[in-house]
Amino acid sequence: MQINSSYLLSLTTFFYLGAAAVYLLYWIFRLHKIGILATIITVSGFLLETAGIALRWKESYALGYGHAPLSNLYESLIFFSWVTILVYLFVEYKTRNRVIGAFATPFACLAMAYASFSPNVQDTIQPLIPALQSNWLIAHVITCFLGYASFAVACGFGIMYLIKGDSKGGGLLGSLPSKKVLDELMHQTIIFGFLWLTVGIITGAVWANQAWGTYWSWDPKETWSLITWFVYATALHARFVRGWAGKKIAYLSIIGFISVIFTYFGVNFLLSGLHSYGSS
Amino acid sequence: MKSKKVESKPNIILNFFSSVKLAITLFILLAITSIIGTVLPQGESLQFYLENFGPTSFKIIKGLELYDTYHSWWYLSLLGLFSVNLVVCTIRRLPYTLRLYRKDALNLSLDELARRPFKKIWNLPKAAPDENLVSRIKSVFEGIGGKVRNRKDVQGGNLYLIEKGKWNYWGVYFIHVSILVIFAGAVFGSFAGFKGRIMLLEGETTDHAFKRDEAGNISKIPLNFSVKCNKFKVEFYPNGAPKLFQSDLSIIKGGKEVRKKSILVNDPLSYEGVTFYQSSYESLPEIEIKIISPDGKERRLSLSAFEKAMWPETGMVIGLIKYLPNVHGSPAARIYIGDPSGNGDALWLLKGHDKDYKIGDSVFRISLVRGGEKYMTGLQVKKDPGVWIVWLGCIMLVLGFGVVFWVPHERYWLWIGRDGQGAKVILAGQTTKNKVAFEKRFNKIGKEMEKITGEI
Repeated sequence: MQINSSYLLSLTTFFYLGAAAVYLLYWIFRLHKIGILATIITVSGFLLETAGIALRWKESYALGYGHAPLSNLYESLIFFSWVTILVYLFVEYKTRNRVIGAFATPFACLAMAYASFSPNVQDTIQPLIPALQSNWLIAHVITCFLGYASFAVACGFGIMYLIKGDSKGGGLLGSLPSKKVLDELMHQTIIFGFLWLTVGIITGAVWANQAWGTYWSWDPKETWSLITWFVYATALHARFVRGWAGKKIAYLSIIGFISVIFTYFGVNFLLSGLHSYGSS
Repeated sequence: MKSKKVESKPNIILNFFSSVKLAITLFILLAITSIIGTVLPQGESLQFYLENFGPTSFKIIKGLELYDTYHSWWYLSLLGLFSVNLVVCTIRRLPYTLRLYRKDALNLSLDELARRPFKKIWNLPKAAPDENLVSRIKSVFEGIGGKVRNRKDVQGGNLYLIEKGKWNYWGVYFIHVSILVIFAGAVFGSFAGFKGRIMLLEGETTDHAFKRDEAGNISKIPLNFSVKCNKFKVEFYPNGAPKLFQSDLSIIKGGKEVRKKSILVNDPLSYEGVTFYQSSYESLPEIEIKIISPDGKERRLSLSAFEKAMWPETGMVIGLIKYLPNVHGSPAARIYIGDPSGNGDALWLLKGHDKDYKIGDSVFRISLVRGGEKYMTGLQVKKDPGVWIVWLGCIMLVLGFGVVFWVPHERYWLWIGRDGQGAKVILAGQTTKNKVAFEKRFNKIGKEMEKITGEI
């Protein structure tokens, strides 16, 4: 088989699948060596994916289109998983906690698997239509996906927080970080995601204003990104209301991510609008 | 901030409008109601909703203006309430924040110092708070970085303070005000600006745009100048996807061309606050016909859609009805020939096959010389003086986030003084965020001080 970007990227899927499995094993057995192995697999997958993205960029030049690989559903899924792994690796580096990997890498793996193996997603490199021929494309996509990926990781924290429940002591649940730490991590990642989502919405508005003369047209994609924004705004303000911390915010981080997924896929497949790349 | 006394009525109202709970309620309400307009088709005619959703649903759709959800009275009211919430909340918190901001962190007692979240205390019964100890400890303290302030004679010692990021207090205001600024920009723009459309044939000039209001009525928007479309270009990729839409525009004022630009989808032309965006195009057929009179005289006429041509020899009018670029390999056109009173004929012309046309006894020979397309560009025309206010609000919003989320308000205190017969050193710290990282730094400073106090 000829080595092309699609091949490298579908191979990445298996690295992330392996990483998710090994992180899960690490969570169960708590052996340091297994943890190291999980990190090694994740970093290798990340490097492979980076190479795949770079190669795809090069291939688009060879085809005479020459654009960053951020222009259709396939490319956005790849980029989503890439940023999710990037954000996760940062969190792992900062917290030195590998159990989180069992909850974060599956998101990247699912995105890659969907991109590589779903018949709904075309992996051909397509040229840019006039509306997408703008420098704002890169700024808009990168900022939005930094937000989406952070929210995926925050959702992982929310799930961890909820399954941790009120358990104390040892066992599987005991080896999860403490609820206080999870709450703080969840808050920090939501803040990070919220900032990027905001910048993503703003860059989208600037771009729309340049292309169509309207910075906000209540297109379904725009509206859903605003709905997502409201959900996370709720999560951020909830900390200031007594009795709202912890569990409710964990639920909000999961609801928020569902809203992200709908903004990302649901709008493309179920609703019509300007961002109709999913329908092709 | 909470007072224990019984609250007066205005206070209850103010509390309601400024509460975080109202903000959260509004976020949730806005999030849920915003879904409506993404599921229900927007901006269709009332007839459409009646036909598709039945009379009962239609009543709800009409009453709640769900055909234009985001401009309905109740949605705008929610946004209005959201603004009131922001304004009242900002004004109410202001004195409180001002008090916090003005509070001098040096103005505190040793008891209060001991209640800071991070602290280390060294009792040195055998040492004196002399120059040696003070200068060594102080130099470690200065290693934190930032300006050191001090107050003398605080319960028998000197109190030093390093404070960073105090303006973090204002970050939240920055965010809240920025959202109001964005709203203000949007409202101002919608009143002071306009949005319209122009369809221009290649070579055509206009001095006005058209606007369509909610009722579907079309009105003219005059421009202070004229805009001309010199040429329109469309290109496709080999796979058929569009590659380029381009209009070469000229702005004409006082009979002179003052601006010229080729606009693309992402590259509009602005003149005197009015911006022209490439938005659509249509291709219109244009043909050339040749007429040979009975006396052998030849005349060529150019016909395009929407235009009629005069046939001077006969006083007849000729128009193009239909153009087919490929009929058995040749272009074909159906044309109309009529007299001014309205009587006329239609006939097909196929390129390469001349046709005889009789008027009275005279026979004219008509042939299709050339068939082609002429483009009409569709421009979106906009004037929005509020857009810069919106961008200003966006920049404030992002800067505000940066401050609120990542600039912590950090304070480090150091007290060195006499304690009974010996000396005492207190290191204390407080931060508003990222306590883990702060604690690391605090402990590092503490360790260095420990080394000094251990030696003494």
